Amino acid sequence: MNAQPDLTIDYHGRVAVVSLAREVDIVQAQALRGRLLGAVRNEDLALVVDLSEVTYLDSVGVSILFELAERLDERQLRLAVVLPEGGLVERVLRIVNLGSVAAVHRSLADALADVGG
Amino acid sequence: MRSRVAADRLRDLQQITDAALAYLPLEDLLNELLTRIVEILGVETAAILLLEDDETTLAARAAKGLEEEVERGVRIPVGRGFAGRIAATRQPVHIVNLDEFEVVNPLLRERGLRSLLGVPLLVEGAVVGVMHVGTLETRIFSDDDTELLQRAGDRAALAIFSRLTERERNLADALQRSLIPRLPELPAVSLAGRYLPAAAARLGGDWYDAFPLPDGRLGMAIGDVVGHGFHAAAIMGQLRSGLRAYALDGMPPGQVLERLSRLLRQLEPGRTATLVYLVLDAHGGGLAVASAGHPPPLVHPRGGEPRYLDMPGSVPLGAARHVFYEDQRLELEPGTALVLYTDGLVEQAGEPLDAGLERLSATIRDGPVDLEHLGDAIIDNLLPGGPRDDDAALLMVRALPIGEELTAEFPAEVESIPVMRRLLGRWLAEAGATPADIDDLALASAEAAANAIEHAYGLAAGIVELRASRSQEGVVKVAVRDFGNWRQPRGTNRGRGLMLMEGLTDGVEVIHRDEGTTVELLRRLGREAA
Repeated sequence: MNAQPDLTIDYHGRVAVVSLAREVDIVQAQALRGRLLGAVRNEDLALVVDLSEVTYLDSVGVSILFELAERLDERQLRLAVVLPEGGLVERVLRIVNLGSVAAVHRSLADALADVGG
Repeated sequence: MRSRVAADRLRDLQQITDAALAYLPLEDLLNELLTRIVEILGVETAAILLLEDDETTLAARAAKGLEEEVERGVRIPVGRGFAGRIAATRQPVHIVNLDEFEVVNPLLRERGLRSLLGVPLLVEGAVVGVMHVGTLETRIFSDDDTELLQRAGDRAALAIFSRLTERERNLADALQRSLIPRLPELPAVSLAGRYLPAAAARLGGDWYDAFPLPDGRLGMAIGDVVGHGFHAAAIMGQLRSGLRAYALDGMPPGQVLERLSRLLRQLEPGRTATLVYLVLDAHGGGLAVASAGHPPPLVHPRGGEPRYLDMPGSVPLGAARHVFYEDQRLELEPGTALVLYTDGLVEQAGEPLDAGLERLSATIRDGPVDLEHLGDAIIDNLLPGGPRDDDAALLMVRALPIGEELTAEFPAEVESIPVMRRLLGRWLAEAGATPADIDDLALASAEAAANAIEHAYGLAAGIVELRASRSQEGVVKVAVRDFGNWRQPRGTNRGRGLMLMEGLTDGVEVIHRDEGTTVELLRRLGREAA
């Protein structure tokens, strides 16, 4: 019963996992931005953003991911993104080369294993 | 001798009320009436209390010698105290010594009243209020006094009733008008609604609403608050506000209904309402719907058979403390009409409900495609004699065919973008595009529109135009045009927007002209994924 059902936050040890769903677009991106940035606790070592259920991600959503990567990097924290193969979101993130700032994995288990959750 | 005097005085009174009826506002009329009664009966105070819309409370409306009663907004529960007993029993009440009577209103004692006489104000046997007079000295009112007061009360009741009904009619019209929404205008989507008040022109509890959601989908609701009158209409207004608030937060229909049920139980314990709320992607066809004890919506595929949605049984809003409303999800074919209605449309005395449902279904199957015409046909066929005892509401939506070329205009604001890409998606699907074509072109076009909105108009209002066409060779051209003064996109954000437009299409051209900028996107349908 969440007022914004399209974002859930979970913690695996010292790794924050944010799962997004449906559409991340210009209309609602700013609301998501604050919640994404706020998900990381002081004791966390890494953040995993799970985009498995996301069907649409525009340039504003992309920019939030890049901003997140930059902020985490400043604090020596790691960012991993879960992104299933195929589909619009993968095409978008390949075009903008998200792989240059974040580790991209096919499953949450792979991502957690990578960042040590 | 005395009765002749009384009859003369009553004639005086009658002249006043008759003359006053013609021009005095209700409050002035009541004051004038009380002044005369004080004179005629030789009493110190006189007051009129009227029954409130909830029919459980009397509220002071006019007073002489007891003006504070109105100023303080005195309210007396029916059945309690002096005035409450008169309203409950519909009989005159005579108190010789106030000390021996339990009153609700402390003013009567504060003012030092000793004896009281009160009569009910009756219209067609129903209590509409109470009129009472009082004296500081002990007085035993005679039968003549009682009869005179009762006859004055009858005249007052008639005057009040005609004033109230006139005022109520005006208020009812205004309130009902304010509750009938202006339907949103959406490109290539037709929406139509009808509301028919009950024959007695009383305020009803039926309502409907339709509004765009932030993600570009359409929220639609229809409901029926149990009961009539201002109170039912006021509750309807509250439910409508509550529904929009929850809906705009992006909640799915079932959750919206659960919250509304809780809201209704808190605002109006014991009151119930039926309601259907749904979220429709008018272009894609995705539908999520939940019902709180309301008759099922009807869907009519283009050229097919109308059918009622098979909704799970559910209780009305407010009927149960803990309640779960299930979302029903389905995919409608393009061009399918969706029809919502209230029971006042399909219920007719002396026939089973199924007969009305069958008549609605048959009218829709054989009726005109245009929803405004269809609405007229439905009203003609289902309510042939005009309004009935119950009010009725109807709300319909259908996606319109777009045709060979797509042209649409949108306000230059970010909220237009989700609507725009859903519209483009439907046109592309009709033009034979693959899901990947649709995804890529819709996103690329949304980026072009975001550029126009953010860079062409500054803070001024403007328009973004979308055009799309398909060549013989299967190449789609989408043009996104603004009519403002382009300034260079700033920041990496828009830089990435252009990167996406280029990456997701086969060609991007930005054409700057004095009268605005056009971004043209080309894509060969069915191309390999980027």
